[in-house]
Amino acid sequence: MTGAARVLDRPVARIAPWRRRGLRRAVTFYLLISPWLIGFVLLAAIPLVMAFLMSLSNYDGLNLEYVQFVGLENYVRAFTDPDAQHALGRTLLLMAVVVPLSLTLQLALALMVNQPIRFTSLFRTIFYLPYVIPVVAAAWVWKIFVDPTGGLLNALLGVAGAQVNVRWLVEYPTVVLALLTIWGAAGGGMVVFLAGLQGIPAEYREAAMIDGANRLQVTRHITLPLLSPVIFFNLVTGIIATLQILVQPMLLAPGILGLSPGTVPPRDNYLYAVHAYLEIFVKQLFGYGSALLWLLFAVVLGLTLVLFKTSRRWVFYGIEP
Amino acid sequence: MTVATSRRHVPATDTTLRYVPVVLAATAFALPLAWVVVTSLKKQSEFGTSLLPAAPQLANYELALSLVNFAKFATNSLVLSGSYASLVVLVSALVGYGFARHRAPGRNRLFMLVLATLMVPNLVLFVPQFVIFAQLGLTNTYWPWILWALGGSPFAIFLFRQFFATFPRELDDAAEVDGAGPLRIFFQIYLPNSGPALAASAIFMFLWVWGDYLYPILLLNGDNTTLAVKMSSAYVDPRGNPLQTVTMAGVVLYVLPLIAFFAAANRFIVRGIVTTGLKG
Repeated sequence: MTGAARVLDRPVARIAPWRRRGLRRAVTFYLLISPWLIGFVLLAAIPLVMAFLMSLSNYDGLNLEYVQFVGLENYVRAFTDPDAQHALGRTLLLMAVVVPLSLTLQLALALMVNQPIRFTSLFRTIFYLPYVIPVVAAAWVWKIFVDPTGGLLNALLGVAGAQVNVRWLVEYPTVVLALLTIWGAAGGGMVVFLAGLQGIPAEYREAAMIDGANRLQVTRHITLPLLSPVIFFNLVTGIIATLQILVQPMLLAPGILGLSPGTVPPRDNYLYAVHAYLEIFVKQLFGYGSALLWLLFAVVLGLTLVLFKTSRRWVFYGIEP
Repeated sequence: MTVATSRRHVPATDTTLRYVPVVLAATAFALPLAWVVVTSLKKQSEFGTSLLPAAPQLANYELALSLVNFAKFATNSLVLSGSYASLVVLVSALVGYGFARHRAPGRNRLFMLVLATLMVPNLVLFVPQFVIFAQLGLTNTYWPWILWALGGSPFAIFLFRQFFATFPRELDDAAEVDGAGPLRIFFQIYLPNSGPALAASAIFMFLWVWGDYLYPILLLNGDNTTLAVKMSSAYVDPRGNPLQTVTMAGVVLYVLPLIAFFAAANRFIVRGIVTTGLKG
């Protein structure tokens, strides 16, 4: 009898303190993450809802008295706005050019500095430097580099033939923007690729070499598949970043006196985020601009989801290095 | 033929294949930067007329420091970036520790939410935040950056969570047996052992504010603004003609501290990224 009573007692006695400890653990967890949670509610969740409400209104950023609910008018307008369509087209074009070139370059740089060569840390630093240079400085670097008279690019091109006087920022602004973007992003992607390369055990490559594979074959059949999660990561972040480019085209706008917040970049560099920015902060169309931004958000989300779907076919998560 | 010589014997074509592309790429990457330095050493009259300065001179640097109140705006940038970086790293480390080490219902979903916020375009969040800050009278103050820092950075939270997940659990157990609470465990065990992650994230967070142009130009004005905003417009002479050579000297002065900083911390950054597993 006493034995049976003990058997009945035990589970009760064991569950209660465990549950209490579980509750205490949960409270501890929520207390520890509370700064983020409060910040998330106040600085992300509420603003997101506000942005959506604004996109349904004619808010001008100043007077709350005149705010009117306009329904989906701003969204309808976004789809018929020729400037928005032009801007979207230019943004997608830039993305189609910059993202593949960037990824290839980043991978090539990582493979280069991962070889057994001398001065690797010097090379890594040179490739990484543009990534840490502030955008304002980077814009100046390229503005001066492609300057019609004082720039090195025209001088270098002039060595080959007759005098070159290309006004790059006026005639080919998107070329300069693409160069600036690729140059500036290369180091960040390279470091991530490098971390991925160093996570691949050397035995795999050595085994393939012993089996008679040459360096190209090893890269193609061993390194690249094992690197595919990193390629995927850089692809997604690259696409998201390119769709949001805003400051660079404004800083690259030709002009001798530099900038003001309302600088309008040349038509070729009139990107989607630039359009939204100007509508909001220059034309004071907070409602319409918010609708444009929500559409951008939807495009980013949609593209990311599509990428994640297709990633199952080509991203290889087979091994844990 | 001994083993040593056969190992050292690399065919000349192999060496060329290894070095030529990397040297070419490094030259292409460095040329635009070198051109800024070369331009900063020219006289303004040499800009656009001669390729190299006849006699390199540092007068542009003196002008860059004196034509605008460089020291004042550099201090503004330093104060803003420094306080943001130290605060946000501390908060993010604490939150990352919570995610890595404490179990509670809803934890994984909340962590997905942290990652999801990384995908929201900055401007989508910033526009309503701007409206809120303006309504609260916080524009033209540094409060927005403090508030952002107090909420932590999703990127840094992710980094610290990955980093702390590699710590052996026995550490916590031993400390708990000794009677230490979670905060004490964090401050006395986790924080002192996270040098590389702290350094890497602090540098990135500092850099983000030091280099940011958009938020200061929209939130600050006049004397409160940062060096980034000041450097975005060219230095001009009294007649309003641009002084490209002085501007380049200013750009060098604006960037140089960062480069020195990075050269010193280079090792931490690569190691920090490797150890935190930030690779997809």
